[in-house]
Amino acid sequence: MKGLNALLGAAGLAVLLALGEAVPRLGLVKAAYFPPTSRIAGAFVDELTDGAFWSALGDTLTGWALGLGTAVGAGIVVGVVVSVVPHLREATASTIEFLRPIPSVALIPLAVLLYGTELRSVLLLVVYASFWQVLIQVLYGVQDVDPVAEETARSYGLGTWARIRHVLWPTALPYVITGVRLAAAVALILAITAELVIGAPGLGARIAVAQTSQAVPEMYALIVVTGLLGLLINVGARAAERRALAWHQSVRGEVTV
Amino acid sequence: MRRLLAGLAAGTFLLATAACGSSGDSGTSGKAASSGGTTTVKLGLIPIVDVAPVYLGVKKGFYAEHGLKLSLTTAQGGAAIVPGVVSGQFQFGFSNVTSLMIAQSNNVPVKAIANGIASTGVQGKDFGAITVKKGSPLKSAKDLEGKKVAINTLKNINETAVRESVRKAGGDPDKVKFVELAFDQMPAALDSGQIDAAMVVEPALATVKSQGGVEIASPLVDVAPNLTVAMYFTSTQYAQQNPEVVKKFQEATAESLAYADSHPDEVRDVVTTYTKIPASVLAQVTLPKWPAAADRASIEALEKLGQQDGLFKTAPDLDKLLP
Repeated sequence: MKGLNALLGAAGLAVLLALGEAVPRLGLVKAAYFPPTSRIAGAFVDELTDGAFWSALGDTLTGWALGLGTAVGAGIVVGVVVSVVPHLREATASTIEFLRPIPSVALIPLAVLLYGTELRSVLLLVVYASFWQVLIQVLYGVQDVDPVAEETARSYGLGTWARIRHVLWPTALPYVITGVRLAAAVALILAITAELVIGAPGLGARIAVAQTSQAVPEMYALIVVTGLLGLLINVGARAAERRALAWHQSVRGEVTV
Repeated sequence: MRRLLAGLAAGTFLLATAACGSSGDSGTSGKAASSGGTTTVKLGLIPIVDVAPVYLGVKKGFYAEHGLKLSLTTAQGGAAIVPGVVSGQFQFGFSNVTSLMIAQSNNVPVKAIANGIASTGVQGKDFGAITVKKGSPLKSAKDLEGKKVAINTLKNINETAVRESVRKAGGDPDKVKFVELAFDQMPAALDSGQIDAAMVVEPALATVKSQGGVEIASPLVDVAPNLTVAMYFTSTQYAQQNPEVVKKFQEATAESLAYADSHPDEVRDVVTTYTKIPASVLAQVTLPKWPAAADRASIEALEKLGQQDGLFKTAPDLDKLLP
């Protein structure tokens, strides 16, 4: 079953690549604006041999990892505090729903004014965008706590910390992990967007330079890199999810079937 | 449990430092870091051909000779550079002259200090041009009436210039339909007929020409014979507090500009270090002029046209703005 899936996945990718080669060659679109796969692949190999590419990749990953880490840490802390302290959830609900839909990209002028074109302006956007993904999941996760389990723990004399650790946390964890997985993808998108628009060092800025330099195959090669990065991050997040939730029904179920 | 708590604490600390980071910096960023007679200053740039003299100047040691260590920071577009300079993230920046005049008329404290680039001043051989597709019926700027013309930014230098070209050709610039489009997207848009004409600059101009596109006007030449298009600038506050640093920057930049102007081959070499312009395109690129000083008369002409087209809220004060 697993082998077949991998085969189908590879076949889908091969068809996509073949289409990318055929469409410009057949003249459906101009090769000058959409180069065939083979030329993009050539530019991709050139990129891999360029030291500046690797440092740009490092910059992007640094922004992504720092931003995601901050957002996850803050999201979990804030989420648990808001849920545990009485009435806080009700008091903050409207504020959260107001702040959450503000697109991170709208904060770009603010980020530039505060931090210029450095890593910190990328972090501002990344953290803002991914924080809500985690926070909302934590809030839902905490809400899902079984009242009977909670009451039982309480009657056995477990304190607040012990109840958070043994009742609340295991219940919320699947939600938290989902939030982290969503946030990981959002953080990557925002890191690259910030670099692209602001010009902070990284893959995004490199794409922008290729774009303004009329270096079309190089631009697509870099876009392919960002796609691959997203793919890797998703695979990594799923693997981490399976490890962290090995005990959970959803993951155990996958294995036995 | 302890590990979890430590992780959470670290997370909140990171957020707090990220959020408060600016307060620790803003006090010092206005002053340049100085060590052993060399002053380190940050220059905010757009990675385009125009700024090649600065890269060349750093490479040739002109800035070092004047005791300056330039840290070149690239940004995407002037929109990120002006706030960066005013808030002290950069000490110096690069911007087109109209943007600087608009900023000044809005009371943004900017001060132009050194020349940036000038048009070549030669009709049909400038680094920017109004171009049409191969075989287009449009033959002159007058024919643009009622047509869709792409410019990179509305209500800025290129709109002023294109309107002047239309006016000089005997047309009514109010009848031109301007649309905003990034330079790099103009060749494809022109080719597919989404726009009738494009005010395009290098290296996209070279791409347009390689596809058989035709130049019908040189708007930057139409504005004034030797139009100063862009300049290096600083904030008025920095200029007042650090007159020596500004003076050093001016001297080194003037040297770099003169060197670049007389060594086009080295310019084409250095451009490959910070852009990705393919060699085949770069060979076709028309370089701008890099005179050591700005041409005040041309800036006055640009201001007059900008006033006429309603770009400024109040008249910019050129005595205060220019060096």
